[in-house]
Amino acid sequence: MSETDAGKLSPKNRNDGNVGRRTFLKATGVSAGAAALAGCTDTIGGGGDGGIPDTIRLGALGPADSPMGDSILKSAELAVEEINDDGGIAGADVTLSTKDTKDDPGTTRSGYQELTTGENVHATVGIFGSENLLSIMGNISNAQTVHMTAGAATPEAPARVADDFEANKYWFRVGPVNADYLQQSMIDYASARFDTMGWDTVAVIAEDYVWTEPITDSIEQRLEEEVGVEVTSVQRIAEGTEDFTPIYDQLESAGVDGAFTALAHIGTTSLVQWAQQQRPFGYGGIHVPTQLPSFWDATSGACISTFSQTTATADSEITEKTVPYADAYAEKYDGALPVYTGYSAYDAVYMLKDAIESGESVDSDTIVSELESMTFTGTSGTLEFFGEDGDYPHDIKYGEEYTRGVYFQWQPEGESGTQSVVWPDEHQQSEYQAPPWQ
Amino acid sequence: MVDVNAVNLATNVLLLGALYSLVAIGFTLIFGVGGVLNLAHGAVLSIGAYSAVAVVRATGSVPLAAVAAAAGAGLFSLAFYKGMIRYARESPVLVLILTLVMGLVIEQVVLVAFGGQALAVPSLLAGQTEVAGQRLSNNRVFVFALSWLLIGGLFYFVNRTKTGQAILATSMSEKGAALVGIEADRVYTYTWILAGVLAGLAGLFLASFQTATPLMGRTPLLLSFSIVVIGGLGSIRGSVIGAYLISFLDQVTVTLVSTRLAGVSALVVLVLVLLIKPEGLFGRELAEH
Repeated sequence: MSETDAGKLSPKNRNDGNVGRRTFLKATGVSAGAAALAGCTDTIGGGGDGGIPDTIRLGALGPADSPMGDSILKSAELAVEEINDDGGIAGADVTLSTKDTKDDPGTTRSGYQELTTGENVHATVGIFGSENLLSIMGNISNAQTVHMTAGAATPEAPARVADDFEANKYWFRVGPVNADYLQQSMIDYASARFDTMGWDTVAVIAEDYVWTEPITDSIEQRLEEEVGVEVTSVQRIAEGTEDFTPIYDQLESAGVDGAFTALAHIGTTSLVQWAQQQRPFGYGGIHVPTQLPSFWDATSGACISTFSQTTATADSEITEKTVPYADAYAEKYDGALPVYTGYSAYDAVYMLKDAIESGESVDSDTIVSELESMTFTGTSGTLEFFGEDGDYPHDIKYGEEYTRGVYFQWQPEGESGTQSVVWPDEHQQSEYQAPPWQ
Repeated sequence: MVDVNAVNLATNVLLLGALYSLVAIGFTLIFGVGGVLNLAHGAVLSIGAYSAVAVVRATGSVPLAAVAAAAGAGLFSLAFYKGMIRYARESPVLVLILTLVMGLVIEQVVLVAFGGQALAVPSLLAGQTEVAGQRLSNNRVFVFALSWLLIGGLFYFVNRTKTGQAILATSMSEKGAALVGIEADRVYTYTWILAGVLAGLAGLFLASFQTATPLMGRTPLLLSFSIVVIGGLGSIRGSVIGAYLISFLDQVTVTLVSTRLAGVSALVVLVLVLLIKPEGLFGRELAEH
């Protein structure tokens, strides 16, 4: 039975138990004879041998008060709603339980525990924040429940999968690409665009967090050798920094053309002070706050001409699913647009759907092997995970043929501003523009 | 580290010190006069900042936003004193708990009302000025001038006006002040309003200098603590000097040592002062003639 057929089922039929498709899929689930699964008491005929339960329970985690976390929770919710409207997963209804991580490792752990032991979810998505992700790697392994990370970029997670594959194989990352690849992405962008931007001399400023460590460890050497620009300094900035003036004074006296950034948690103050002080150098790189579609209004336009890498912008057609997802999100959430974590969380839920349906089971080991062999067209590109022997086991692959995101720049549009894609070529919407005060 | 420019460093210390002073003075005023450690002080700053954000969004006017910042925080401070602190003033522990909880409540209310995203308040004054061969944003210079105007005004008010002298007298001895007919409750009321207004404006300045976030008051509260402990709890002059000391150490650390250590110097100094000279540089007094 195809997805199109499922789409024709009325909500009433689904609520009534949906004899046709659902019964068929449950029956096939039983015959799949998969291994035992947690919470299998509601499995039709399963009795511990896998299959599809009446209800598939998913969990989503993220810092609810942060736009990044909010987008994770809302995107998971949107995907689950769409899936239920379309006949569920293998005919089963899907429920979603969300937990606020407060962007704090302790709260993340207890939220994760509640989901996996209290609510017996079949898989989880989300997190944001590498520190929080790393704090629950052991719990994921204990719970033996598939977790699809959306938001955290540390390569430490796949390293742990590589160290002990059997224990940690339940972890996957849908996005963003890991921080090693984020460094590669910065190099790719610099090689393609620095020349036309007039950036011959740059300084790198990165926040002093786990995720930026792989970026700063060799970016100076790579920028100089592979891109041919002069790097005056690579600075790691403390979390509590609220005055960037002395840092910008140094950059200015070093005569840089641009500040190449790796900022997520402390990016807004840095950007606002750069704009207010009208520094004579450009500003951008990876800058998470500026990815927020609402950032122009939030900063009263101070973000003008800053640029950043992101998974996708609302009107960039990475795949045929990108714009419809952003539109559906805007429609469901009063015109709000998703941020990068949302694309990945949304894709994660659909990947789980495909994995459960093709494996005909909610058994974690079955889902793991289905995900390992999957090539999935998501909102953020063609998604494929590294296998056990890959460079980054269970992490998402980076590259033109997979997913590598886009670089966009905030450019004025009427009274407001717009995120206009400047790289890569196939998605480019406009040329980079220097800040208006230069 | 790269090129250290002494003029840059000096200007940054000067400009930041004034802002830090303003942040700390309200805190020290309430402690000096009422003996209350107001742990909600940081949150009062955010009331000022978000009042300004709301007014800028509604009207687009920065001067109106400044009025809203002062009035919003001042009124809150007044209500907080009249509604709660006045009744609990005799119990320092209860006051500590009340102010701490109030600070957390404000953060949550702001979070619900405005969301977690950092919001920028437009510069109070746009453009750049060249001073001693160095380009400075007008906003920073303006904030510096206004901060000093407010600090100077406060000195004048405390030392030269009747109400100010009543505040001074109460800070020295509540009983003595009562004997000469000064009503303590009225003095405390004035102090709380004054501290609220100063905190509200400091919040606006901070928001225009950095951004407004629901938790934006936490660092200033910690900073206030360090500053007033260094300067001597309750001393306005000590607070100004403490603010400049912290500002200097912060800028030197970031410029000369490492950008990874921003904000650490305030804590190191706090610990050192508490160990070596716990009464601070200027002891416990409200103001000096």
